[in-house]
Amino acid sequence: MSRVLVADDDGAIRKVVRDALERSGHEVETAADGEEALARFDEGAFDLVVADWNMPVLDGFELVRRIRKRAQVPILMLTVRSEERDKVRLLDAGADDYVTKPFGVAELVARAAALLRRRPGLAEAPAVFRFGRVEFDREARSVLRDGRPVHLTPTEFSLLSALLSKPGAVWTHRQLMGAVWGTTAGVSSDTLRVHMGSLRRKLEPDPDRPRYIRTEPWVGYRFTPESAEGKRASTRRDSLPPG
Amino acid sequence: MSLLRRPGVGYPAAALLVVATVGLLKVFHGLTDSTVALVLLLAVFLSAWIWQSGPGVLAALLATAAFNFFFIPPLYTFTIQDPRNVAALFVFLVSGLLIGRLSALARRRLELVEAERRDLAALTRLSQAFLADTNRESLLGVAVDRLRNALQAERISLWLADEHGGIAEAASTPGTAVRSDLVELAWKQGNSAAFPSELGGTDIYLPVPVGVQRAGVLVARGLRSSERMAEACAQLLGLALERERFLALARAAEETKASDQMKSTLLAALAHDLKTPVAAARGAVENWAASAGPSESAGLALDQMKALSRRIDELMEVVRLDSGVARPRREIVAAEEIVEAAVARFGDALADHSLLLEPQPDALVEVDPGQVTEALGHGLENAAGYSPRGSRIQVRVEADADTVRLQVLDTGPGIDDADRERVFERFVRLPAAERTPGSGLGLSIARSLVAMNGGRVSLAAAPGRGTLFEIALPRARR
Repeated sequence: MSRVLVADDDGAIRKVVRDALERSGHEVETAADGEEALARFDEGAFDLVVADWNMPVLDGFELVRRIRKRAQVPILMLTVRSEERDKVRLLDAGADDYVTKPFGVAELVARAAALLRRRPGLAEAPAVFRFGRVEFDREARSVLRDGRPVHLTPTEFSLLSALLSKPGAVWTHRQLMGAVWGTTAGVSSDTLRVHMGSLRRKLEPDPDRPRYIRTEPWVGYRFTPESAEGKRASTRRDSLPPG
Repeated sequence: MSLLRRPGVGYPAAALLVVATVGLLKVFHGLTDSTVALVLLLAVFLSAWIWQSGPGVLAALLATAAFNFFFIPPLYTFTIQDPRNVAALFVFLVSGLLIGRLSALARRRLELVEAERRDLAALTRLSQAFLADTNRESLLGVAVDRLRNALQAERISLWLADEHGGIAEAASTPGTAVRSDLVELAWKQGNSAAFPSELGGTDIYLPVPVGVQRAGVLVARGLRSSERMAEACAQLLGLALERERFLALARAAEETKASDQMKSTLLAALAHDLKTPVAAARGAVENWAASAGPSESAGLALDQMKALSRRIDELMEVVRLDSGVARPRREIVAAEEIVEAAVARFGDALADHSLLLEPQPDALVEVDPGQVTEALGHGLENAAGYSPRGSRIQVRVEADADTVRLQVLDTGPGIDDADRERVFERFVRLPAAERTPGSGLGLSIARSLVAMNGGRVSLAAAPGRGTLFEIALPRARR
């Protein structure tokens, strides 16, 4: 059982999110604004924070910044902003993921579950991680697919390692560049795209429709350990070969 | 000193000085010739120093004559007995002239340096005053007074370009009129005019330069300082006016930015207030369905809430477009990524159709990816709304040398030629569309968004049957 802190100024949203999370077996505390949320956060240990961006007293953006100074707890934001650059700003400040209002409860619970799978206090990737038919061994610096070794370039290995360190979380382009190259200067999101494409070709069952390493359009990438979003996968898609 | 140096005083004063010196020398008689010569040369030096070259030369000639007449024997005649004294007198004359000349030159140099120093100090004060002023009205108000002091003029008049392309007097110090024909000449042709003034000094008409153009004309009447100084002042004034203009532009830009930011913030708050109740209602229905088991009513409520949310999105987008805060931030992206993003975001609307994607790598466009994704999304929703369930929707990217086309083809009933432009107008919905929910805003939004990004949205008949929705964008090269 995990403890979740839900912060939203709207009482109805607090109730809906609390009911949904409690139904999936989590213990929930609520706060009506950012300041109260911060006070609650300091009182007890939480495994996940769900916060609205638009709150009085202390807005969600500021809440994320202050919590990030204190702890590495996963943060899931509720937002109505559909603008990508706002999302990027939020993620760069330290939020792990977001859902856009009006979100589906199932989607919210799935995203929360994905973030909760992260072990508390573990900033680095676990030593051994399995997803699909891939086995990633951090210590041995090896990656196996169907039991056979896959050769990854050092950049690809760093990328995968970064993504696996926060399963379910969205990484902005900036954050990934920083994690892999140590700097964002002189690295373009194109470069990132090329390495990501190559990584997908080596690891994804169907590189054209990636299951594990997902693109968040115009924002960044997300590693989803198992297909958490039923909706997106249900859209039937046929793809013709190029040309 | 200034009394001694009034015009017309020089020659008589120099003569008087020499006469007085001779008188003094005669009082103290018994002085040697060389002492007399040195004292007379001193008088020549002083004359040239105080009254400049002309009186200096006069003093030298007078002193030579007086030396001969009063001190060289035989006294009181201009005859010279001793031929050695002829040489002495000649040397005396040459020395007198040279001393006079050098002394006058030195004095002149000193005065020039002094005048330049004064001009520089005045220019410095003027530029400091101009730099301290950030407002055009107050700048002009005090500029003429400051210019009058700096140029030591009787009257300053400043003419500036008005908004009709003409020129008008913007500020002036009190005094006699200026000649508007000369102002016109300086303004139209950039020619300056300078001539002696009846007020004393010079009247000068100077264009005020701004880069290679002119901001106006500066008129100084009864100018005492140099023309060069007046030109420097005109240039300084041009710079000050230019600086003030840029400051005003910067202030305006800052205000627009602040107002845009405020609009964005207000719109975000509005969207939040509209969406939050829908989110709560949707969540409540889902929770209810989860505990009580799914029902037709719950499903209906969810569908309606999704539709409501989409209508709110569209209205907000229209408000954003109208308020001018939706400025595109362009970057180079692959058209394919836009298709991928639009399908990911609007996938729900396409759930009842089969989607055929035809990728086309390497077709790049320079657009705001979010805005074009949104526009393509409207195309996808349109196709889904107006074609039978289960039918095929085809999304493809076509590219030639100059243009990238994002196309959505459906197999619905299509749109009559006559209606194809009309459906891009706001709130226009065709009678056939009445059974499909919608606001009649989607296509108009799509067209505005794409137009902002330098492209064009159109509808055409799809080959065979159905509608072709197309976003045409200029192709970008890396």
